Amino acid sequence: MSSLKKQNKILIDNSDCVGFANGLFRQNIIMFKSQKLKDWLKLFERRGVILSWFSLVWSRRVFRGIGLAIVTLFSIGLFSHFPSFSQDPVTVRFLVQAGEATQLQSFAEDFNQKNPNITLEIVKGPNNTNLVEDLYTSAFLLGDSPYDIVYMDIVWVQKFAAAGWLADLSEWVDADLLTPYLEGVTEGGRYQGKLYRMPLRADGGMLYYRTDFLKQVGADPPETFEELVEISQQIQDQGLAQWGFIWQGKQYEGLSALFTEILEGFGGFWVDPETNEVGLDRPEAIAAAEFLRQTITKGISPQDVTTYSEEETRLLFQSGNTAFLRNWPYVVPLANQSKIAGQFSIKPMIHAPSFNSGACLGGWGFGISSRSPHQQEAWKVIEYFNNIDVQRQYFLITGFVPGRRSLFLDPELVSKYPHYPQLLDVINNSVLRPPIAQYAQTSDILQRYLSAALTGSQTPKAALEAAATETRTLLGRQQRVISLEQ
Amino acid sequence: MKQKDIEQQEKRTGWLLILPALLVLALVFIYPIARAFWLSFFRENLGTQLEPIFSGFYNYNRLLGDGRFWQSLWNTSVFTVISITIELVLGMGIALVLNQSFRGRGFVRTSALIPWALPTAVMGLAWAWIFNGQYGVVNDLLQRLGLMETSITWLGDPTRAMFALIVAEVWKTTPFISILLLAGLQSISVDLYEAHSIDGANPFQSFRQITLPLLMPQIIIALLFRFAQAFGVFDLIQVMTGGGPAGSTETVSIYIYATVRRYLDFGYGAALVVVTFLLLVTAVVIAAFLLSKSRVNLTGGQ
Repeated sequence: MSSLKKQNKILIDNSDCVGFANGLFRQNIIMFKSQKLKDWLKLFERRGVILSWFSLVWSRRVFRGIGLAIVTLFSIGLFSHFPSFSQDPVTVRFLVQAGEATQLQSFAEDFNQKNPNITLEIVKGPNNTNLVEDLYTSAFLLGDSPYDIVYMDIVWVQKFAAAGWLADLSEWVDADLLTPYLEGVTEGGRYQGKLYRMPLRADGGMLYYRTDFLKQVGADPPETFEELVEISQQIQDQGLAQWGFIWQGKQYEGLSALFTEILEGFGGFWVDPETNEVGLDRPEAIAAAEFLRQTITKGISPQDVTTYSEEETRLLFQSGNTAFLRNWPYVVPLANQSKIAGQFSIKPMIHAPSFNSGACLGGWGFGISSRSPHQQEAWKVIEYFNNIDVQRQYFLITGFVPGRRSLFLDPELVSKYPHYPQLLDVINNSVLRPPIAQYAQTSDILQRYLSAALTGSQTPKAALEAAATETRTLLGRQQRVISLEQ
Repeated sequence: MKQKDIEQQEKRTGWLLILPALLVLALVFIYPIARAFWLSFFRENLGTQLEPIFSGFYNYNRLLGDGRFWQSLWNTSVFTVISITIELVLGMGIALVLNQSFRGRGFVRTSALIPWALPTAVMGLAWAWIFNGQYGVVNDLLQRLGLMETSITWLGDPTRAMFALIVAEVWKTTPFISILLLAGLQSISVDLYEAHSIDGANPFQSFRQITLPLLMPQIIIALLFRFAQAFGVFDLIQVMTGGGPAGSTETVSIYIYATVRRYLDFGYGAALVVVTFLLLVTAVVIAAFLLSKSRVNLTGGQ
């Protein structure tokens, strides 16, 4: 202890330090008296800066350490490039939201038992799809992705494919494999004619309505926009409910999804993926935006609807004060446990008299990372999840919407989830958000201008015209770059 | 040894000793900035399959005509200027109160810091519910006080959404300013006030002629910190409005985040970063110039 104190005694008047005291670091340098440092300083005075650095670093021990490190790194590289050297099973990974990862765990164990040479590892991600997308994105941007399989939302496919992060699945997939699935669900997995995603789950927007209110005013469930407005006003006039129709009007992806459905109901289109033609300033699209704005001005929807995402609308509907709700299928089981249980039903979205309704299609499926060294093994995993018995089990546990047509009418599933046949009606008439690489940006443009139209700071016509112009600039710019390359 | 040799040696030693610090600075500070500058001259996005293609000033040209960027810059400036002005006034008031001695002062000082210690995302979520149109506390209070007939939407209206964001920001960061100012107040000697009041000055004059000038270094530091922080605001807005409605609360950092991470447009994102960086540097340089004129010593020395 005492020797330590002595060693650490701060030097103030030692002759070694006199030079320093005059120098640059007059006040800031605290030096410790130690024999080693003194020796080194002497050496340093003799040989100058650079040589002394080297003499410090180039001691034999350090040299040996560096050599060992190089050998270790080299052997790690060697073993990771020739996995066959080791007898361990190949590990295949993918990232899922934590909630779903827990549900998938039993399937991973089952798979690992049936395939002793492959280990499937499900990595738990945040419970927010945007964050999961971010994690996949950064993993791919950094080069060596730790994920061999990509569990994707339908709107990521084109972006990831355009960035070159996904492997073309046509090597493994023939047409027979896809026929059991809903057409829209498989189409959503394509980009420029190639398939990048095998479907598992589907999702689609639809109309929830209160059966008791409709009975009281003596109306049938609405088919058209006008009927919805009329029935809503009747219900509100009779004081049965405070609000007629609630939907997701916040500036976010849900607004684009909802608008896709209203647009389909009016017979319009957003972006044609083949020609990059933009349809937002056509009369049908303007009518669609005007309809949404009118639900607010007519008092059918609260003004606050322009701040709502899915959860706010679900809670408002469950509180019993609302006649109609547009939302995704996940609301059914939750509303069945609320106080409106048994008093609501679902049906496909409303539409204009001469057009069809469209459910905006969502859903999840599997792709393979283009940089994975284990693509064959990854495909084994996808094949496993493609099995109908595995899928039946999966949907029994989760209650999600299947992508496979036959499962909607599967007796075992229907006995547990009686609304599945109705869901098939909804999802059969589905519509995709534009399957283009720049979808995220295109959607943001629409959200901003639509939000301006809904909050009344711009007329629907002016807002959609501006949105169309901006979308054309974006897609045109992209096209120019591609044509320059060709 | 000659005097000159010794001096040279000292210089060399000096450089050697600051070399690690310089290296770290270059690695974490200069390299990323230089890289962003470099990247901003390339087109690297989904259209080019993420391969960089040199395109000169193309990105800057595009930026000039990008209404969304200028709007987000305007939103950020409005948010920053209004919130730090209010924070400064409120923070000064709170600091003056906390500087007085009263029973339970320690407890009040500690609890005043709580808003600042909360994670922004959590308190942003709470404020979003407070301003919720149907269930929100604000609407309920206003209705009970008879100031309003029906509930209004807060986060769904461009001006009111910005107002709500500023309220949340002020609530969160006023304690930070008041603690900084309080530290400054405590370093001012009581003797000065005594002498001043013997000379016949009233408290208001004392505040203007003693407190404000002596507190100037702390005020400037607090403003600089808050300016840099508020200009880069991200989490609060992402949680409360996501930049909506109609992009009226979108700040520069949210736009840059979207461009790089969601649109994967790295070249253009880099150009946005560079322009924002240059604007910020200009603002700081102007502030420093004004400071040197007002002869405030930022380092606290004499």
